[in-house]
Amino acid sequence: MSSFRVPGRGRIDHQSPVEFSFDGKKITGVKGDTIASALLANGIHLMGRSFKYHRPRGPVSAGSEEPNALMGTRRGPGRFEPNTRATVQEIWHGLEATSQNRYPSLEFDIGAVNDRAYMLFSAGFYYKTFMWPKSFWDKVYEPFIRAAAGLGVSPTETDPDHYASRYLHTDVLVIGAGPAGLASALASARAGLRVTLVDENTEAGGTLLSEPQAVIDGSQAWDWVEKAVAELKSLGARVMTRTTAIGYYHQNMVALCEKLTDHLPAPAANMPRERMWRVRAGQVILAQGALEKPLVFDGNDRPGVMLAGSAQTYLNRYGVRVGNSAVIVTSHDSAWYAAFDLADAGTKIQAIVDTRANPDSTLLEGAKSRSIRVLAGYTATRTEGRLRVKSVRVNPVSNGKVGAPETLTCDCLLMSGGWTPSLHLFSHTKGSLAWDDEKQTFLPDRKTEDCEIAGAGRGLWGIGAAINDGAEMGALVARHLGRDAVAATYDVASDRPGTGISHKELPTDLNPGKARAFVDYQNDVTAKDLRLAVREGMHSIEHVKRYTTNGMATDQGKMSNINGLNIAADALGKPQPKVGLTTFRPPYTPTTFGAFVGYHKGDHFDVTRKTPIDSWAEENGAVFEPVSMWRRAWYFPKDGEDMDAAVSRECRATRASLGMFDASTLGKIEVVGPDAVEFMNRMYTNPWTKLAPGRTRYGLLLGDDGFIRDDGVIGRLSDDRFHVTTTTGGAARVLNMMEDYLQTEWPDLDVWLTSTTEQWATIALNGPNARKLLEPLVEGLDISADAFPHMSIAECKVAGLPARLFRVSFTGELGFEVNVPAAHGRELWEILWEAGQQYDICPYGTETMHVLRAEKGYIIVGQDTDGTVTPYDAGISWAIGKSKPDFVGKRGLERPDLVAKGRKQLVGLLSRDGKTKLEEGAQIVLDPNQPIPMKMVGHVTSSYHSDAAGRPIAFGLVEGGHDKMGDTIYIPMPEGVIEAEVTGTVFYDPEGARLKL
Amino acid sequence: MTVLTHAFTPGPLVSGGAVSVNLMAPIGRFSVRVRESGRDALGAAIGLELPTRIGARTKNGNREVICLGPDEWLLQTGAGETADITAACAAIYAATPHSLTDISAREITAKIEGPAAIDLLTIGCPRDIDQIAVGDGCRTVIDGISVILWRDGEASFRVDVWRSFAPHLLGLLQTGSAELSA
Repeated sequence: MSSFRVPGRGRIDHQSPVEFSFDGKKITGVKGDTIASALLANGIHLMGRSFKYHRPRGPVSAGSEEPNALMGTRRGPGRFEPNTRATVQEIWHGLEATSQNRYPSLEFDIGAVNDRAYMLFSAGFYYKTFMWPKSFWDKVYEPFIRAAAGLGVSPTETDPDHYASRYLHTDVLVIGAGPAGLASALASARAGLRVTLVDENTEAGGTLLSEPQAVIDGSQAWDWVEKAVAELKSLGARVMTRTTAIGYYHQNMVALCEKLTDHLPAPAANMPRERMWRVRAGQVILAQGALEKPLVFDGNDRPGVMLAGSAQTYLNRYGVRVGNSAVIVTSHDSAWYAAFDLADAGTKIQAIVDTRANPDSTLLEGAKSRSIRVLAGYTATRTEGRLRVKSVRVNPVSNGKVGAPETLTCDCLLMSGGWTPSLHLFSHTKGSLAWDDEKQTFLPDRKTEDCEIAGAGRGLWGIGAAINDGAEMGALVARHLGRDAVAATYDVASDRPGTGISHKELPTDLNPGKARAFVDYQNDVTAKDLRLAVREGMHSIEHVKRYTTNGMATDQGKMSNINGLNIAADALGKPQPKVGLTTFRPPYTPTTFGAFVGYHKGDHFDVTRKTPIDSWAEENGAVFEPVSMWRRAWYFPKDGEDMDAAVSRECRATRASLGMFDASTLGKIEVVGPDAVEFMNRMYTNPWTKLAPGRTRYGLLLGDDGFIRDDGVIGRLSDDRFHVTTTTGGAARVLNMMEDYLQTEWPDLDVWLTSTTEQWATIALNGPNARKLLEPLVEGLDISADAFPHMSIAECKVAGLPARLFRVSFTGELGFEVNVPAAHGRELWEILWEAGQQYDICPYGTETMHVLRAEKGYIIVGQDTDGTVTPYDAGISWAIGKSKPDFVGKRGLERPDLVAKGRKQLVGLLSRDGKTKLEEGAQIVLDPNQPIPMKMVGHVTSSYHSDAAGRPIAFGLVEGGHDKMGDTIYIPMPEGVIEAEVTGTVFYDPEGARLKL
Repeated sequence: MTVLTHAFTPGPLVSGGAVSVNLMAPIGRFSVRVRESGRDALGAAIGLELPTRIGARTKNGNREVICLGPDEWLLQTGAGETADITAACAAIYAATPHSLTDISAREITAKIEGPAAIDLLTIGCPRDIDQIAVGDGCRTVIDGISVILWRDGEASFRVDVWRSFAPHLLGLLQTGSAELSA
């Protein structure tokens, strides 16, 4: 046991040693230690190097606000985390911790040369230095800055951990389980509400864990905490520790990150490392307490310089004295009690240096009874010591004059500049803050969410004040939620109420321009930097922040913001509220990417919709492509084939005999009701009244702007029932659009819409032998050319399965689409596959489908149209029912712009050399010799090699294209300019004879 | 993790822990749409009352219906009863216009039971499960996927999901069940 560990003291298990390593050295702590408390117990303060100057640093705090003691931690292969806060990370046997930002070692670091060059690295250094020459930015400056930026090293291996997430609904969410939070939660839970209490620490209690002397209603503080937690649990409250409320969003949505395994040596395999909770709370109570501020003076960052309250926490929670010989420098009463506790535990207190001239008499008595020297009305002007503070120089201040210095030796310097209410989450809600002149800090003002702030978070000080405020707030929110609730009152003995004052940097008799008086430890921002920023014209706190990077480190200025504001306000000669505070943003503390990702990685990254026939395609070697949320078979390569060869073969086989295609992803909507035909007339451009049951028609859907939105073949099953198909990607959109019109424009129509996309598996059979394959399998229907002509639909049985059979073609060949209930999709596919062997049936994918349709001039909405294409532009104005009184988009089509000359129109494009395949997306010009930038008149929308045409074919949208038939247009490419002829869009069987077989 | 095929063979997917997940056998399913004036007549043709409160259910033998909207119900029946229902509804169509659309194959159902059933659902469902009364149900989302959630008991639920989304959803339920038993 080291001499810094106080036997019997703290909430750690003194009897359970835990070994871990720090920079390869074996360190022994005890169960319940953090890395920081264990190192401190071994007399080690030096834990890292600072970001810019590589100055030696030790922990300045004992909590999640820690800016200095950041380390790499390793928990086995792939489990490396940079910037772990040593003050938070619990130790376990075998944990590996390494210091950061140093080379070759923590004790001797080459980068510390920056510290000697301190005067060069002033505020705005990067902006000034790397401005010129401009061409250096990409190649030299940015890589250099990126390499120098950030502490720690990003992990390079795949994270093997898994991460979880949950939703949680609760009546009352209490954030912070200190005295105010516990009392709030008790009041709400006693009123019968569902209560959730969260705390980022390993256990509930908050400040009570560091103040064991307090007595609440006759119980010692820790006993009271234990009883309170037990009562909460018995009332059904959810008490969550190691859980940080990271963000507060609209309508009382609060995100919590729960750490589950980082403190365990061997977590269970299925145990997630962290769990993100998305909480929707009826009422939120913010009981996050207050964070202690450092004092700003030269050398306030040396290892051994620490917040006084944190030293008190190390003593009372972890049983660790942070040094043998301490000087206290403070502007707040709280640090006196830290001194008293440490003195009582055996640390020699060299002096209590208070910036105030007249400390409270009870404090003076406490010091006197312990024979502690008190220097009141003093300032601290410098510290000494390379890897650990050795002494502090203090001077009396009277009437603004700094008097003669005195040097006090010490091995630790405990400071307190007062306390800042922790209002980060409140700030997330965009609630406004009001400056409190007396307390010299911001307090919560106007609220935007159903929340209350309790305890030190709203500027109250002392356990008694906080706990009773918590009880009041807990009862108040219970009443907001309609419960009768009266706040309990708590009697607190041995409380330590107190007050303090707030400072800018402390006065000094030395040259303040040379002082390394740190405001933001993590970003190495000094008081001098802030003043320089103001001198150089940064008059808004937002500018000062960005110019100096004050408050921009991962701790988001938890310690530095108010000190920074005090100094900036002083430099500007304005009161603090006129200068303002920067906005805190989520997350409250650094959060892993894994916690945000949750389950969405690997196979579960996102939804991949698969058809009932997908498994067959996979077993038969299909290459897939994503189409909206679906994955679809793209092509079916045979051994050694590339895509071009496979697609060419699939196209040939289909045109020569028979191809089969999984069209299950087609959107399908059942439109049913007496007004079904009227609804169809209004939605689609085409006329539907005269479409007889048993017949189908190509349907074109516009937006009310007149532009093409979707298309598909639509069958009329009976007078009152239509089977609508949509594009694969358009299915949900089209149904939503239809419902929107139906519910808001035409609620009088007796018609109803049902998505049947997934009810049916759809298999398209195309090719001259399609009927021969199908005919013997069909029951209850004559599918001969005369009885079942092109564009027919019927209900029948196919291979014994109930089916809806379309005669339709998207290839120009004789074609059928067989719809069977999705559960039977693969079964039918295999039957057709077997039966089709005699016709050399060829399964084909989406690429072949695209080529075959392009050869016939059929457009694909979304590829050949882009939301700005009208039916006229696309050459399909024949689909418009010109005598219909109205349809969606009818008036849009009459807009002047939509009937103007020179619109981009869809045309065929054939490269003049007959060999060059154009590139989809390539831009088109009329004169390739014009100066750059050229006038672009359109672009290529579809382009393929066509086996049937024996050459490449393409579509393009070209300004005035329909009037340019036979003209040559030009496509400038990196390799040279391609000439192409403007043509019609049908490249194969223009008479449509093959459809009519 | 079990590899899910699109056969969705009925049977246990997760068992033996604090929660079990079972794929249920195919049944008949219809989307039922009718105006208020025709609600009683259509209910009579189907053989049960069409409830008016969204989320409410009624049951008669194999036939069970849940109200999903002011004019929308989901009807579940025995697999062999769809033809009878279709015929009974067709018989009143002229007097009582409505939409009866067979969606038997559109979706599958997983049954989730056990003390951790609610915890498992909260992994992906943003609804307050506590507020769904036993015997009610709702249309909601799990992990962004639209589902119908039926609460059959304190710790017994059914989830209907469209086929193509089912592997994603069931995969999450498997992962979540393993996590809950850890």
